[in-house]
Amino acid sequence: MKARILVVDDDEALAEMIGIVLRNDGFEPVFCADGGQALDVFRSAKPDLVLLDLMLPGIDGIEVCRQIRAESDVPIVMLTAKADTSDVVRGLESGADDYVPKPFKPAELVARVRARLRPGDQKAPETLRIADVTIDVAGHLVSRGTERISLTPLEFDLLVALARKPWQVFTRELLLEQVWGYRHAADTRLVNVHVQRLRSKIERDPEAPEVVLTVRGVGYKAGS
Amino acid sequence: MSPPLERGAPEQPARTSVDVHETGLTAPVSDATDAGTPAAGPPEPAVPGAGLPDSPAALWHAVRFRTRIWVKRARIVGVRVARLVGIGASRLLPGIRYLLRSVHRKWRRSLQFRTVLTTLMLAISSFAVVGAYLSNQIANNLFQERLVQAESETRYNVKQVQDTFDGAQVTDQSSVITLVYDTLNAVEGRGSVIQRRYVFEAMPEQTKPRNRWVESRASDQLTISVIPPELRKAVQDSGKEQFWASTEFPVGTEDRPGIAVGNKVTFNGTVYELYLIYDLNTAQKTLDEIQNVLLAGGAVLALLIGAVAWYVTRNVVSPVSHAALVSEKLAAGQLQERMVVKGEDEVARLGASFNHMAASLQEQITQLATLSQMQQRFVSDVSHELRTPLTTVRMAAEVLYDAREDFDPVNKRSAELLYNQVERFQSLLADLLEISRFDAGVATLDAEPGDIVQLVSHVMEGVAPVAAEYGSQITLNAPAGSIIVDMDDRRIDRILRNLVLNALEHGEGRPVNISVAANDHAVAVAVRDHGIGMAPAEAARVFDRFWRADPARARTTGGSGLGLSIAAEDTKLHNGWLQAWGRKGSGANFRLTLPLHQGETITKSPLQLEPVDVGLHGAAGQRTMLLLDPAPAPRGGNQVAGSGPDDGPRAPGPADAGTTYPGTAGTGTKERS
Repeated sequence: MKARILVVDDDEALAEMIGIVLRNDGFEPVFCADGGQALDVFRSAKPDLVLLDLMLPGIDGIEVCRQIRAESDVPIVMLTAKADTSDVVRGLESGADDYVPKPFKPAELVARVRARLRPGDQKAPETLRIADVTIDVAGHLVSRGTERISLTPLEFDLLVALARKPWQVFTRELLLEQVWGYRHAADTRLVNVHVQRLRSKIERDPEAPEVVLTVRGVGYKAGS
Repeated sequence: MSPPLERGAPEQPARTSVDVHETGLTAPVSDATDAGTPAAGPPEPAVPGAGLPDSPAALWHAVRFRTRIWVKRARIVGVRVARLVGIGASRLLPGIRYLLRSVHRKWRRSLQFRTVLTTLMLAISSFAVVGAYLSNQIANNLFQERLVQAESETRYNVKQVQDTFDGAQVTDQSSVITLVYDTLNAVEGRGSVIQRRYVFEAMPEQTKPRNRWVESRASDQLTISVIPPELRKAVQDSGKEQFWASTEFPVGTEDRPGIAVGNKVTFNGTVYELYLIYDLNTAQKTLDEIQNVLLAGGAVLALLIGAVAWYVTRNVVSPVSHAALVSEKLAAGQLQERMVVKGEDEVARLGASFNHMAASLQEQITQLATLSQMQQRFVSDVSHELRTPLTTVRMAAEVLYDAREDFDPVNKRSAELLYNQVERFQSLLADLLEISRFDAGVATLDAEPGDIVQLVSHVMEGVAPVAAEYGSQITLNAPAGSIIVDMDDRRIDRILRNLVLNALEHGEGRPVNISVAANDHAVAVAVRDHGIGMAPAEAARVFDRFWRADPARARTTGGSGLGLSIAAEDTKLHNGWLQAWGRKGSGANFRLTLPLHQGETITKSPLQLEPVDVGLHGAAGQRTMLLLDPAPAPRGGNQVAGSGPDDGPRAPGPADAGTTYPGTAGTGTKERS
């Protein structure tokens, strides 16, 4: 089955070009040129992944991202012309899983898309624990006691990666490779922002984390 | 029988004043008939022609008895003050020192305090002078008045006594004594208040007549000892002249100031000295009262003047300090701060013009800020507008490039060219936008502790394909396994990538060495190549944006011409140093030095700039020293001159060219011909 990808971009030429590249690589693109209609198109098309331009007419990309994230865990990859800290961080904080800065290479775009579409591996029944949080890997469930914690697939992958090797300190680069699928060094802000998002969901007190610990100057590790 | 009486001449105006004070007779006898001395007061009407004492003498008397009183007061006050000071010195010394210090600080820092204090001091000292003068004058006048009165009364009384004595028809002892005593008692005056006291004494060293029954006689409590010896001597030595002197005499338990006026009378052939003593107590009391009033008035006036000075200076100083406060706030960036303007005086004009200045400053700053914002906005918009079509072009080019094997040779080459140039265009655009961000001042440091050795390894991995292309080998010399330093790893990565790519580009396939070392405060990364080096003339410009040593040389490399500029800006953002050394034929060495912790300043780089392997060989004239020192490092001048103390041995060469750049200029590719 072809994965369906929603491309939200107002630039028709670029959208068409992205469509050509995606079709070439065996995906099924769906287009939307207006931020205001993005959510409707998303609901009707039920895509497996969303490629979202940050600057859109109508509603801006960040708002669209927030709306989609509010009702779905579908991976969102931002296309951004501004690689400035504030914009990227704002986009990631609004729920995007990854971003591709313009101008990008077709291979880069496809690699990002594939990385996020990666089928949830071969998930054997496995239960992991960090601090007082229980993770059911196969069932994609995270809970503290009886309380269910809802995580996006990316956040879940991040938590599982840490939980599987509680003795290891993960550098940001290592996490980028394992969770995001980057081969080469990329923007470590991705890790920072998503760790923060993850903490805001699973930590009792995000200011004093117990589940995802920071190892200063190195990276992150699972709490005990 | 009555002895011949030596008759004086009481009616004769001749009189002399004697100035007597504690140390002796100082003012010579001065005859009042001498026209040379003007009378210091109205002539005594009761005794026409009676002279008055000359004013210096009178002044001395006034001063004398005033001094005496003041000395007494001062002694009491002095004892008390000494006791207080004694206690204070032991207990309050730290407090006093603190007080003095704070007063001194206040004196230095507050114009108002200084003005008020100065005014008070001046007022008090002028009051003291005026008060002393007034009090002196009053004392003098009081004394003069009393003296004139005393002298005329004495003259009259002495005449009365002499007349009584002359007309006496007594021969027996008791009646003589009665007569003398009655006569003398009459001198004391009528009524309950004693108007004057007397001392009546037979002159010594004269033949004692048979009928001399009275030797001496004086008012209550008085003896001849109250009469100053100088006065006695003057009286004894003179004829029938009258002399006076200040004295003190006992009344009850106290000593009172007084004037003693002396003359001679004769009775039954015996010459007697007759001194009449006038009480100055009332005058003294009046004087004391006047002095108290003066003192109180002066104190009140001084306080009033202090208050007025305080009020006036406050009126002047408070707008000034208000202005200072407002300008401090303005300087701190609160551009909306304004002075309060009241009225139309000078201060109001100051306020108004200050506000005008602030307004125009604010306007200009706001204008500049708006311009800068517009500029940033423009850059950002251009960025977006350019990037989107560029992305499309790039993707299209890549699709064509991937399919080039299916094209005929012309189209294939075109696709390749398109692909490569789009790539170059993109990196140029990225660098331009980065530089414009630095120029707009919006670049921010996002520093976190990280391992720089690890970062260097990453960079080496990243450039490995390029190194293979050039055929260069990259070696890493990092004795310390890991060095944690505060850095924005994205920026440091970019700096190092630029340095290594630059080294590879100019390394002519020879090895490139990277060294990493740290000391207590700084870490340094040096990138050394062994390429063709740089000439001094090139050195001066090698950091300009888009600068190329040889414009004719084909731009075969992918550099945008901005890489080193950006590296310099990134270094500046870290408060680090980025320096370069080069020599024709011996390659180049670029050294990045960063403080281990942000906020610290670098004093010494752990690595030397000039490579050890080039030491002392190489002809002078072929050597070049390049410097790119973004931080205003104290060693700058030294480096320009040649080498810093830590830079190892270097042969001094006249052709050494050194340049320090403020870090805003640079070039990504330095080309050497």
